[in-house]
Amino acid sequence: MRLVAYLLPRIAAALITLFGVSLLVFLSLRLLPGGYADILLGPFVTPEARAIIAQRYGLDQPLAVQYLRWTGAMLGGDFGVSMVTQRPVIAEFLRRAPVTLQLALIALGVALAVGYPLGVLSGVRAGARRKKRDFGRVVGAMGASVPDFVLGSVLIFVFSVWSLWFRVGGYVPFTTDPVGNIRSMLLPGLTLSVFGVALILRTTRDAVLRVMTEPHVTTAVARGASPGTIIRHHILRNAAIPVVTVTATYFGFLLGGAVIVEVLFSIPGVGLYTFNGLLNRDYAIVQAGVLLAAVVFITINMLADILYALIDPRVGAVR
Amino acid sequence: MTARLRKARRIDGLSLFGLMTLGILLFLGIFGPLLPLGDPTRIAARPRLDAPSLQFPFGTDELGRDFLPRVVQGIRATFLLSAIAVAITAMIGTLLGLMAGYLGRTTDQAIARGADILFAFPALVAGLLVAAVIGPGQVSAIAVISIATLPLFIRVVRSVTLGVAGRGFVTAAEVAGASALRVMLVHLLPNVMGAVMVQLTYALSIGMIIESALSFLGLGVQPPDASLGSLLRQGSGYLTIAPWMVLSAGVVLSLAIMSVNLVGDAVRDALEPLKGRPLT
Repeated sequence: MRLVAYLLPRIAAALITLFGVSLLVFLSLRLLPGGYADILLGPFVTPEARAIIAQRYGLDQPLAVQYLRWTGAMLGGDFGVSMVTQRPVIAEFLRRAPVTLQLALIALGVALAVGYPLGVLSGVRAGARRKKRDFGRVVGAMGASVPDFVLGSVLIFVFSVWSLWFRVGGYVPFTTDPVGNIRSMLLPGLTLSVFGVALILRTTRDAVLRVMTEPHVTTAVARGASPGTIIRHHILRNAAIPVVTVTATYFGFLLGGAVIVEVLFSIPGVGLYTFNGLLNRDYAIVQAGVLLAAVVFITINMLADILYALIDPRVGAVR
Repeated sequence: MTARLRKARRIDGLSLFGLMTLGILLFLGIFGPLLPLGDPTRIAARPRLDAPSLQFPFGTDELGRDFLPRVVQGIRATFLLSAIAVAITAMIGTLLGLMAGYLGRTTDQAIARGADILFAFPALVAGLLVAAVIGPGQVSAIAVISIATLPLFIRVVRSVTLGVAGRGFVTAAEVAGASALRVMLVHLLPNVMGAVMVQLTYALSIGMIIESALSFLGLGVQPPDASLGSLLRQGSGYLTIAPWMVLSAGVVLSLAIMSVNLVGDAVRDALEPLKGRPLT
């Protein structure tokens, strides 16, 4: 009951957000210079041809009717057809989704494995009586400041001069060559993870610092519990909520398509596909890419909301 | 706010480093065109793709242009575009946040949903959409930065306003007959300024990342203008034979973003101190 009362408004809000997102994308694409007929037929087009196109694609209908048809088609899985290949856009996205998913999982895994423990350590240390060098701030500041395309470019330079074990570009699917796949995916994954490491580190550090001043930690200290026990039993779980929020946001952005890193390392994921769609003026692809990214983002954040309620029994409780 | 800033006079090494770097970069950005560095767009009969030397500390590019004045020009463009976008966004976001937090009910719901909608677009994917609609360029870079940072301002200002709106002095102003606009601008605004300042620095660094990323993809600043991102794009074509272009622009860009972040951290630590405690 607690869960239902907590989740229902959130699901409603997510649906409203989805509606708003779709409306925004729909309207912004109506604003395209020239309109669809010009894009399809070029600038030298007779009014008759324009009218035929408008009739065929329903562009002569009122905007509200167009919007309803448009959303109806997408709910049925029809995201339009690529103007270049004449193939359904959604199939192309689904084909590329696993690549982006793998990249996102590598980045998220590294970010959590490095950022979370460092953040806890840095938070605990920041409160210590004897001040030690606060590496957490240094790593956090560096990681949040080096843009992924700068880091990626440097890595490409270093590893194309000295190949070592990594491979720059030359993506191969995991199913045909697992080792080659990992060799080509690790560098972009690491590049993407650096921002995540900094983000999770800083969030964890702040959350730990906040929890440490709460009365129940003072009680535990007074009781003579060891620092390890206090951290494990009294701090980690209480500090988890902001970390879950930030992790979900980060993962949602990663899944939306790490455009820059995919372009930089020529990884054939959804980000590169959407970017190439823009370069080819293939607007069905851009539209689908933006919409899918937003839908995935909203879904992931809703899952995070559910996760809070599971972690923290106070969430949604009647006070 | 100023009192608390003054109290935090003891400044640590990292913040000092950030402040000094930011100062140097801002000086270069503002007075760059007046400094005797040479013309960033002059194509001269000199070695092309020349390695850094005493004469050309950052080397030359593929047209034989001195890369140092180009980087200085890039600093200016990157800071300026981001600052313009963030300034506009901060004003709109603060106003919307105040309205959401103080007026409540339907206004709050509408503004909060609006922020959610904008927040749902990953910045660069939104950048692709904006570039498709209004074409690549500085205006679309500013628009994308605004889309990405507006929800941050709205959320922070709204939550601070919610905390302050129930306090005695607000009720007193209401009883005295102050209009909603007056309460928001005269009584609530000064109380949210601290939080806005903190967000402002973070938004500035996010803006610089987005601007340079868009320019790197060729969707932001267009040649012959240069921003740090477009210089990286230019240099990445010659990465293996002339790495100094990517390295110099990349290091300067990273330093610029880091200095803004460090100053932001310092401002936040001064305004909202987070004190830890020893566990033994």
